[in-house]
Amino acid sequence: MALPVSLRNSVTPPELELIASEELVEIIPLISMERTAFISGAYGPLRPPNKAKIPLWMAINLKMKKKCHIVPPNWLSVDFLQDRLALETSRQEFSQFPFRFTEIAKLLLDVAPDDIQNSERIRSLLKDIREVRQAKSREGLQKIDHSELSLPNLCSMEINEIRPFFVRAMGVLTQLTRDPVADSQFDV
Amino acid sequence: MSPRHISAALLDDDEDFPMVGVAAPDLNFGVDHPPETLLQQLVRHWLNERHAPDILPVQAEVLGALLDHIRRQTDTVQALRGDPDTSEAEHARIMLVQTEVERVKFVVRSYIRTRLYKALQIEKFARYIVATSEVQEKLSQAELDHARRFAQLTENHFQASVLQSLPPHQQGLEDNTPFTPPMISGPDKSRAVFVHARDECPPVRLPDGTTMQMQKGQIVLTPYAVVEQLLAMGSVELI
Repeated sequence: MALPVSLRNSVTPPELELIASEELVEIIPLISMERTAFISGAYGPLRPPNKAKIPLWMAINLKMKKKCHIVPPNWLSVDFLQDRLALETSRQEFSQFPFRFTEIAKLLLDVAPDDIQNSERIRSLLKDIREVRQAKSREGLQKIDHSELSLPNLCSMEINEIRPFFVRAMGVLTQLTRDPVADSQFDV
Repeated sequence: MSPRHISAALLDDDEDFPMVGVAAPDLNFGVDHPPETLLQQLVRHWLNERHAPDILPVQAEVLGALLDHIRRQTDTVQALRGDPDTSEAEHARIMLVQTEVERVKFVVRSYIRTRLYKALQIEKFARYIVATSEVQEKLSQAELDHARRFAQLTENHFQASVLQSLPPHQQGLEDNTPFTPPMISGPDKSRAVFVHARDECPPVRLPDGTTMQMQKGQIVLTPYAVVEQLLAMGSVELI
């Protein structure tokens, strides 16, 4: 009953999606519902056509039953992503994104492409952004040492992607620099 | 309880449902942390536990409160489902409540399984847990019993299969021979972890001798030993 081997070293993308689904998203409900107490908080009332904010998992659930339209967050638009892509390619540092944007974008594009304008274009922009940022992560590997590496604006899914390699790299560097003083200090 | 009354229990105007900081994080760029709900707390501790090489203190209170909440929601749903007067709209609501219960159960289960795995892994060669009282304090009674039984089984197995045939001075599991790795191994606290600062952090010493002061929101890759104290204080989370 202990944790399966495949999950021991890292969390998986579906688990990250589960966590990201707790975040709030705006919907236009097609059914009405009283205000309801959930474990994560109270949501509603839903009164079509008034917008309401509910957790993403709930929105996905309703959307799949065609009981709501999802209002995509402002960053999931061609204009915004185009600006970000330009910023990302022109500067050396990572530009700012919502921490769980990859997961949220994927879930929304999978479930509600009809609610998102130009979803195909958004898909390809996200892919381009991902590639630019991935290249930057790889460059960041040059700066790694045995004690600390700052990673400003890196997002949840990106961290998970580089985790195995970066953790190992730092482990190797730690072994190379290990000396008795540090050993006693850090109680290894 | 009458069916109407039960139905009201799902409504938020019931005093029995104290909501800890209803505000959930926004999809916007907000870096500010609103007060955490119980579920958000558990998710944070779950991820900490998944990423930390060492076993962390058991979050018995958060876990207990959430399990109670799950039970209350399940009871309400059961009562409503048994009621033939429940309307179609009500069914949609019940289904959403049930979906959430399943989601929360998944996190609870994964949290417990992660701890179980660590308790056993640390236990495996070492009886580290039985040996260190500091570690014992982090475990719940059930986890401790489980670890002890497992340690006993492994030791019996080692004895029966190999150790009893060895010369007496090599039969122990605890001998410390110089220049060889110890047979009792603890968790590797030098393993690197990704850390996110939840608040301004007091300065910590890095293995290279310099100090690091994490600003709120900063993300850093660093050995677990560096941030162990900060994690215990709740100033940082592992991501």
